[in-house]
Amino acid sequence: MAKLSLNVNGQTKEIDVDPRMPLLWAIRDFVGLTGTKFGCGIAQCGACTVHLDGVPVRSCVIPSSSASGKEITTIEGLSKNNDHAVQLAWIAEQVPQCGYCQSGQIMSAAALLKQNPNPSDEDIDAAMSNVLCRCGTYPRIRKAIKQASKMKL
Amino acid sequence: MKTISRRKFVQLSSVAGAFLAIGYVPESTGHGKLVARLNTDPSRVDLNQFISIGSDGSIVLFNHRPEMGQGTFQSIPMILAEELEVEIDKVEVRPSIANSGLYGSQMVVGSRSIQTEFEKLRKMGAAGREMLRQAAANKWRIDLSQCKATKGTVVNPSGVTLTYGELVQEASKLSPPENPPLKKRSEFSIIGTAVNRKDIPLKTNGDAKYGIDINVPGMLYASVERSPVFLGKVKTFNKDEVLKMPGVRQVLQTSREVFGQNREGVAVLADNYWYALQGRKALKVEWDTQGLEKISDETILKDSYEAAKTEGDELFGKGDVSAAFKSAKNIIEASYETPYQAHVPMEPMNAIVSVTDTEATFWGSTQNPNGIRTFLSKTYQLPEDKVHINYTFMGCGFGRRSMTDVAEEAADLSKKSGKPVKVIWTREDDQTQGPFRACSLNVCKAVTDDQGKVIALEHKVVAQEIQNQTGPNMKAGRQIMGGINTDYLVPNLSVKGVLRKRHIPISYWRSVYHSTNPFAHECFIDELAHGAKRDPIQFRLDMLDHPRYRRVLEAIVEKTNWNASRKKGRGKGVAAVERSGAYFAQVVEVEQRGKQIVPVKVTTVIDLGICINPDTVKAQTEGSIVMGLGAAYTGLTIQNGAVAEQNFHTYPLLKINQCPEIETFILESDAAPDGAGEAGLPTVAPALANAIFDLTGKRIRKLPIDLARVI
Repeated sequence: MAKLSLNVNGQTKEIDVDPRMPLLWAIRDFVGLTGTKFGCGIAQCGACTVHLDGVPVRSCVIPSSSASGKEITTIEGLSKNNDHAVQLAWIAEQVPQCGYCQSGQIMSAAALLKQNPNPSDEDIDAAMSNVLCRCGTYPRIRKAIKQASKMKL
Repeated sequence: MKTISRRKFVQLSSVAGAFLAIGYVPESTGHGKLVARLNTDPSRVDLNQFISIGSDGSIVLFNHRPEMGQGTFQSIPMILAEELEVEIDKVEVRPSIANSGLYGSQMVVGSRSIQTEFEKLRKMGAAGREMLRQAAANKWRIDLSQCKATKGTVVNPSGVTLTYGELVQEASKLSPPENPPLKKRSEFSIIGTAVNRKDIPLKTNGDAKYGIDINVPGMLYASVERSPVFLGKVKTFNKDEVLKMPGVRQVLQTSREVFGQNREGVAVLADNYWYALQGRKALKVEWDTQGLEKISDETILKDSYEAAKTEGDELFGKGDVSAAFKSAKNIIEASYETPYQAHVPMEPMNAIVSVTDTEATFWGSTQNPNGIRTFLSKTYQLPEDKVHINYTFMGCGFGRRSMTDVAEEAADLSKKSGKPVKVIWTREDDQTQGPFRACSLNVCKAVTDDQGKVIALEHKVVAQEIQNQTGPNMKAGRQIMGGINTDYLVPNLSVKGVLRKRHIPISYWRSVYHSTNPFAHECFIDELAHGAKRDPIQFRLDMLDHPRYRRVLEAIVEKTNWNASRKKGRGKGVAAVERSGAYFAQVVEVEQRGKQIVPVKVTTVIDLGICINPDTVKAQTEGSIVMGLGAAYTGLTIQNGAVAEQNFHTYPLLKINQCPEIETFILESDAAPDGAGEAGLPTVAPALANAIFDLTGKRIRKLPIDLARVI
């Protein structure tokens, strides 16, 4: 066990956990934010995607200790009023079905657009092809990313 | 209309409003406090178990069907709101409590929620509207016919209005009409429009709560090791060693029943899930696998082909197929194989249950709230009103969450540990433990005349049957012929089933046997069309007088420009199926890119009667196609009595870069709504295989297909 300081969505949380515990479980079970999801536990599905110093990472395989001292952004911290361009586009295109994987989809799309404001179909495939959706919302994800890229916010 | 004492549903639906508000996380298991607080709220009146109106005019509609992505969270209230005459944008939707006495079945399976509930919901909405109109008529002392309900108000001929909030107290004293007048389809203003779903904003910012997100004070987290070889029995396990692991509180043997078979496991209960997982890693269980480890895909396939040589049980028959085969000159025969598939809900299976001496409570994502209530009541001998079911949003279901087995595990562990227990399956558990979509062998045989016209057709299904997995009864039931089109006008037609029983558990998987049988049937029809040197759609039309099959096939010709000559390096294939009352035809277009075959477009035409929300129907069809394509590319394999594929790296889902363009056309009619949650799935594998044949001349008779190795 070790005392860790995690900076999540601009707030510092002190938690007492095994430092090897993956960041996913520290966020969900100790920080108490459940928007970040468990899907596979082996970084294959992307449901657990969060931003670490602005870079999308799979929180299910990152030890909590290695996130200490970095800025962690979860879906809850992407915007204050559900009004990030990606969130607005996701609602406009009615993307989610069950919604479970969508935190990971949205965090991945937000990171893509930050780095590449006008992604082509190929860019979208490259950035999003390892974020799995069992409901099959892919056609709408593609449309929503393009719509978000056109929004001036 | 079934009438229910008003006192009873007022009490119960008030509870629902408080306890199951969206995103509500129980702060304690003390049900009583919340109930008491809500029942004393004088500002809300429930007109019936679906409709609650505040004195401020606010409308709450209770949705009695759990949401797993299918969109009934919005389409059920749309039906209520249409007849109640309220604006859908202004209503609040809340999940109802689980109570089959009040709501009938609340199970979400087989694309049935809209089909079976449409009339009932219309009557509930209309009854509320009529009571409010009557209250206004009484107040104004005018005839009911002079009171018009619109947008949450009642208007009289002088243009004076009263809001529903102003009328609801008086309205609630009136008796609900048994047969309230229903609106005509031409009068609908909500039904048939693409209304945005109210659950979607909650699913873009982390607010939506799923079973896995719920925490109950004092609960333990459990991870359960189960025999990799199905039906393995626990011999020994290293309990004392695991108990020394950090955070581990208890190590308990447990079991759950899956379709009559008891499946054993050893659970590690800990203070949080990760500790439970670490404890499970340290757990060593010795299993008695009873020789079942000798079973593999090879033995299963051999068994299936042997079984196919037997007569089987006739499930559908007309004419005299055996006579036709005896005198036949041209016999065409083909066998088709499909593998086991896992459901793979993105939210791994989980459940929280608290069982005490006096009550039981469930929290979680389930397609079957009534089933869990009944199970807990019977097993722990508790009256149903002492069993509380709190259902959340589901991270997918696909039939897997219609089973109550995970709640059974959590209940068993709660009873044994004396604590509320949250069981979470790992992805590996999900993929290797099942229950699965059944594998199948389909043997199709036909007699044709010199012009290629089909004189006789026999379709034999060799498969396990969901409702008959154990015991000595080896007679195949009609369930296993799902998806075989007996509307084809073949004078001698026979569908036979050869039942197999295996140690591998199976269950309902999106569209069930429609996900396997049409692959054989619609590919075989295509083979016969090719044998007759006929266009495959025209060949089908010549064998169909069913108006709805004809309607979708004729439309797909037009929508896909079917009769135009094929572009170089492109092929098209077709399939048509009925599922849950909806008829659909689909064309898959493939392109050759080097050695790789790539599906580039999937076009579907669906005839489903009245459509509640066209955008939801399109979303469901997109999802069905993605799931069906994924299942065409991958399958589970059985090695040494167990599933070989452990996680996504060996059992990949379809990815965005593999997703073709999808276009869906809805053909409406005045008929009652059909099920839309699976349309497009049964057709996609056969249409793809037929397209590959069109492009390459090679027949695909086995799933999964490796698109890099066809050419």
